[in-house]
Amino acid sequence: MAAITTQEAKTPPRRRFGGARTGGGRTARGGGMNWRIRLRRDKSLVLMTVPALILLLLFNYLPMAGIIVAFEHYDIYQGIVNSDFVGLGEFRELLANPDFWHAFENTLVISFVQLILYFPVPIALALLVNTILSTRARAFIQAVVYLPHFFSFVLVITIFQEFLGGAGVLNVFLNRHGISSWDVMTNPHTFKYLVTAQAVWKEAGWGLIVFLAALAAIDPALYESAAVDGAGRWRRMRHITLPGLRGIVVLMLVLRLGNALSVGFEQMLIQRQAVGAGAADVLDTYSYIYGIGGGFGSAATFGADYSYGAAAGLFKAVLSLILILGANKLAHAFGEDGLYRK
Amino acid sequence: MAPSHGFTRRQVFRTSAAVGGAIAAAPLLSACGSGKASTKNSGVADTNTVKSVIPTYKASTAVTADIPSVQGANGAASDPAFLTFPASPAKSVTGPVGSGGSYQAVTPLWGSVPPPGNSYYTAVNQAIGATLTDSPSDGTTYATMLATRFASGNIPDWLDVPGWNVSAIQNFAEGVDKYFKDLTPFLAGDKVLDYPNLAAIPTGGWQAGVWNGKLYGIPLWTSAGNFPGMLFYRGDIFKAAGIDASSINSADKLKALGPELTVKSKGQYAFEDLTYYLYQIFNIPFSNGHTGWKRDSSGKLVNGYETPEYLEFLNFANSLAASGWVHPDALAGDSSKAKNRFWAGKTVITADGTGAWNKSDAQSGTAANPGYVRQGFKLFAFDGGKPSLALYPAAGMFSYLNKKLNDDQVKELLRIANYLAAPFGTQEYLTARYGKEGTTYTMTPSGPILNDEGNKVVTDTFDQLANCQAVTFNAGADQITKDYAAWQADAVQHAYKPMFYAMNITEPAETAKATTALEAVVTDVRMGRKGVSDYQAALTTWQNSAGNTLRTFYEGVAKQYGTGN
Repeated sequence: MAAITTQEAKTPPRRRFGGARTGGGRTARGGGMNWRIRLRRDKSLVLMTVPALILLLLFNYLPMAGIIVAFEHYDIYQGIVNSDFVGLGEFRELLANPDFWHAFENTLVISFVQLILYFPVPIALALLVNTILSTRARAFIQAVVYLPHFFSFVLVITIFQEFLGGAGVLNVFLNRHGISSWDVMTNPHTFKYLVTAQAVWKEAGWGLIVFLAALAAIDPALYESAAVDGAGRWRRMRHITLPGLRGIVVLMLVLRLGNALSVGFEQMLIQRQAVGAGAADVLDTYSYIYGIGGGFGSAATFGADYSYGAAAGLFKAVLSLILILGANKLAHAFGEDGLYRK
Repeated sequence: MAPSHGFTRRQVFRTSAAVGGAIAAAPLLSACGSGKASTKNSGVADTNTVKSVIPTYKASTAVTADIPSVQGANGAASDPAFLTFPASPAKSVTGPVGSGGSYQAVTPLWGSVPPPGNSYYTAVNQAIGATLTDSPSDGTTYATMLATRFASGNIPDWLDVPGWNVSAIQNFAEGVDKYFKDLTPFLAGDKVLDYPNLAAIPTGGWQAGVWNGKLYGIPLWTSAGNFPGMLFYRGDIFKAAGIDASSINSADKLKALGPELTVKSKGQYAFEDLTYYLYQIFNIPFSNGHTGWKRDSSGKLVNGYETPEYLEFLNFANSLAASGWVHPDALAGDSSKAKNRFWAGKTVITADGTGAWNKSDAQSGTAANPGYVRQGFKLFAFDGGKPSLALYPAAGMFSYLNKKLNDDQVKELLRIANYLAAPFGTQEYLTARYGKEGTTYTMTPSGPILNDEGNKVVTDTFDQLANCQAVTFNAGADQITKDYAAWQADAVQHAYKPMFYAMNITEPAETAKATTALEAVVTDVRMGRKGVSDYQAALTTWQNSAGNTLRTFYEGVAKQYGTGN
């Protein structure tokens, strides 16, 4: 790579854009240029993506070959090549298992609850923060709401437990005053709201960054002329701010849908003991617990089954792919960019 | 999240057993099904094969115990206990130990990992004349680490495998053959006499180190009074409340302590999550993290899950969870802080491994509550009847040597093992467990006491590779030694050998998922989230998908190899 960089440095800058012949083609999308010329023009940008591409290949695409274990009875002592090939056997077993469908249902329910209760929070926060004029107050509020993002879920759950748990601040206070305790950390029925609350507390602040950036991109002149024309606060929000945010909201929604089946592996695993497998088993933990396992006290796994776990994981991946492509199509149908511009 | 807090620290290792070991059991399995299991072996060996590969036992005469071992029922015996360490320790190893080799070892550690190259490691390496580098790995997630190592084939020269982790490894019986050195040619019969300290490890310990009819494992923490653990109580709080612990001899009486010992305004709750230590009170066959088997009155094999006592157990645990007398954090599944709650007096009755009852526990407890006293309930049965306690195999934890080592390397490591297994009261024991006098410990009239440096660097590392027969010793804390010895002397009187005792059996893999799923329901019922009727439905599912297969499988084992009794 070093050699290429040096060579590029020697290249006269004039030639980068293909000279006068294509000089007029430098439109925003580079339309009309052939790919070779475009490549020459964007050479340095392309080069910059190379390390990321190598990582992607090495850690995301190459291991995909391991998917094959989902189609065999993978035996760790025989290796991938010598293990028995069973086709869709593991999938048949998986789909016949009610516990799997239960984990699937939990995943969808939690995902849905998070979509309704979590997704709008960063947008609302961004609108709020955007109205603050004092830079200092704004920086302070941003720092406060970002901070939980850097906590691990272990810490977040411990904090929740210390405040809301049966022996936490709230319940000790209630008990001291003879009021019966409020069971929120171990209630399987309200678990979906609990995990959403934890997610909001931890991630909403971080999520607002991207919306704030979108807000900053709206031309202030629009607000000025609207104000001159007599538009009030609400009308400015409805007709300028929200339409300005629409593209990014749709993009985030598409990404969110693609991730709809990932609802927080650690969060579920840590709290599985507190609310039970019935409430906390989602696709990710199911695949881990039955596939890889490990000793987690009374939630201990009785024997690893890598093929089964891989089948569960692959099932999820395929559904996620369908979801993200579907959502993207929908975005295009509404005239938005989605993941890429059509 | 930590596993059951029972499996913590040193002497707990007496508490576990092994399910594992394999002779050609393919015909055995062909009877009971197809699929993954049929091509695998179950690891079992018959009694005669086991006998033929076991090392000869030759007791050590290094020291005489202050409280001698007490003989119990069915071959059980309490550990010898010591109140002082001999003033002039004997030498148990003659001649050179290592020959300058360099080896990597991995052992489990329940605590903080000491810095590499510390003064204790240096002292032991100097004494053994080789470079043994131990990389301790967190004991609570050790099973996951092992499973990954087995899957990748990355096995160190010397590896500690706790028996209760074996079920997490895919077909361990096959892995043993593939990755570990067969020690039969080095240790079987009188060959062990080249390593006198290894020969002083009681026969029962070696028994569960046999897999596929060959000797693989070096037994750790060998004891003839090996039990999972017990119910503990805060002696000081009981005393202050005027409760006589010896009057508690049934599940009902235990439960009746709930309202008396729960003071919510102080944050004090009567009970910790008593987990599976309740099994021994409800006479449920149990071994190594699994329910075990027994024959019912008609002679049919029944699993612990299927016994009427299991329902009694669930009813009890379920009602306890709903009573409000169990600490809420325990109900929330936070078992990693169970000890801290007990130390701080947030819980009064807990359950833990036998190893929890020691001097360092007393130190931690006193730091939290100056009056802290840990005491164990004498064994009782749930219905007030005759108690019984399933004996675990004499060793529940084994270390294995890598198959790739050549004979000279194996011999060097066995000489090192012989050094590390030096009996209590010898010079080598002092070095192996305490390091170097003046550097990491000070010798006092009651025995060696770790100094500040020692407290930082001396922990269970090398002694998780090889060690002598278990003894009870707490330098300077004689009351703990006496109390524990008394508890054990009583417990061994109620000991019995459960079916398939000390047999290494690898169960058909396809039954694992159903057991994992059933255990999830058991946890829900225990924690009060589901009712006992939910358990009964789940049990039927389990029987259809795994239980009946296992029954046929174990009938086959019993027919071909006996039941270990």
